[in-house]
Amino acid sequence: MVNAAPLSLRIADVSHAYRIDGAERTVLDGIDLRIAPGAFVALLGASGSGKSTLLRLMAGLERPRSGRILADDVEIAGPGPDRLVMFQDPTLYPWRSVRGNIALGHDIAGRGDRDAVERAIDLVGLRGFERAWPHQLSGGMAQRAALARALVNAPRALLLDEPLGKLDSLTRLTMQTELRRLWEQRGFTAVMVTHDVEEALLLATRVVVIGGRPGRVIGDIAIDMQAPRHRDDARLLGLRRDILGQLGHRELW
Amino acid sequence: MSGLLAAAPARLGATGRRASARRPDWRPFLAAPAWWLAAFVTWYWPDADDFPETALLSRLLALVGAVLFVAALSGRLHRRGPWAVALGLALAAWEVVQAKLLWLKRPFFGTPQDLLDVFVSDWRRLADSLAHSLALLGVGYAAGALLGVAVGVGLGRAPRFRYWAQPVIRLVGPLPPAALLPLAFVLIPSSRLASEALLALAAGFPVAILTWSGIAAVDPALYDVARTMGAKDRFLVWRVALPAAMPQIFVGLFMGLGVSFAMLVVAEMLGVKSGLGFYLQWAQGWAAYPNMYAALLVMSVMCSVLMSLLFKVRDRVLRWQKDGLKW
Repeated sequence: MVNAAPLSLRIADVSHAYRIDGAERTVLDGIDLRIAPGAFVALLGASGSGKSTLLRLMAGLERPRSGRILADDVEIAGPGPDRLVMFQDPTLYPWRSVRGNIALGHDIAGRGDRDAVERAIDLVGLRGFERAWPHQLSGGMAQRAALARALVNAPRALLLDEPLGKLDSLTRLTMQTELRRLWEQRGFTAVMVTHDVEEALLLATRVVVIGGRPGRVIGDIAIDMQAPRHRDDARLLGLRRDILGQLGHRELW
Repeated sequence: MSGLLAAAPARLGATGRRASARRPDWRPFLAAPAWWLAAFVTWYWPDADDFPETALLSRLLALVGAVLFVAALSGRLHRRGPWAVALGLALAAWEVVQAKLLWLKRPFFGTPQDLLDVFVSDWRRLADSLAHSLALLGVGYAAGALLGVAVGVGLGRAPRFRYWAQPVIRLVGPLPPAALLPLAFVLIPSSRLASEALLALAAGFPVAILTWSGIAAVDPALYDVARTMGAKDRFLVWRVALPAAMPQIFVGLFMGLGVSFAMLVVAEMLGVKSGLGFYLQWAQGWAAYPNMYAALLVMSVMCSVLMSLLFKVRDRVLRWQKDGLKW
């Protein structure tokens, strides 16, 4: 596992729609973003704001209806191993052991780098569980395996779709620290979809708030604080109030 | 977590140890006397009629008793002990009721020595019939299984194939394959080939439907994961869709095997003049009832062994599953 150079992403006036029950529903409207290489960007928004769709477009799993998405100034035409996704569910292959799952990318590419797989197992702390089947893992361990499965391919950008959304709150805290550590260590570009304001503030170098229906960018905040950040830091509490206000929850704060 | 992982084997180990550490169990030692009783009755009590192979039968029963005694000594007769006792007693009872007292109507009910005599005198033809049945079944079932999986993948992954194939399958699939037998014998000049084709059809239909349903139920996210890593269609079919659908495919394979057994007997009785089905019909024609029982016994052992083999394969292939039916 070598550290690959982080990817820059450019989302140029992207709109997207889905056909639901015969009617076109616009889910994203005129999104325009530049994501610097090596940044940790949180896409924050309520559910249904289209932020996960935006992530799928960046992954190349879907093509936008209009606008363009560029990775290092090259238009994205489809999925590619330089941009890997970590989903809300671990989506491990149940018929592969933990090691087999982590080796998935290598199997697809026809590479046989056993050392890299072993290093990834160590990196996420799954040593001792590499022969377990996915159904034997706890939720946090399964997400660690999913993280290792992505990282073993040395992605230039890691796209995280609420990867901690289904974890219990204590496991979540551990995994947040873990994600931040891995990002600092490996230096990939990270884009994380989340609806948890606190999580966004703790991890990201920049928080992009997406709101409305269809989704638009309604806020864009740089956070130039070093890790470790404390969740009761006065500046973070202030930012949190601002963001909740932007999302229409001012009255609660 | 490590507790959970360790728990399963540890629990298994514990029960195994508990069983062997228990005080010596005398019950397994009942099996040998039961068989020796059957042997003694067979040898000592004169037959009611002139039956063949009585001496051989009593020696065989005694031998089985000896084997069971050794098994009990070495502690290998815990689970199967009661069955071994019951079988020995049942054979003794059968021997008394029919060979010694002739209570049941002949010739429909034979004696144990009649059955043994068939195996002694006609084993060549039985073995030959078994070989023919296995060959017919093996080729037909294998072809059907492969075809079924291929069609199922097509139905699950290729919309254009589905458009054309689905109505045909809906029309032809539910038809009992035996109904096509007369037509197949007319269309296909070789009765063997016709039977193979029908066996393949019989096995292929459930396999195709269940492969399709298995592939349709695959979580799309599993494809997304592979696609982001650069996987092409080949990988998505062979390494994602098929393994994910494997539990369902095995359900289809089991159903197909059952239907194949039925189709095999019908085909052998009506078309192919060989195999266990033909033997059965021949035995019935000549009122050779012991031969019929012998063929039935061979056939049920064959079917049961094939089922067990399929279960073994499934347990191996699906060992990643949490649990499954044990055969």
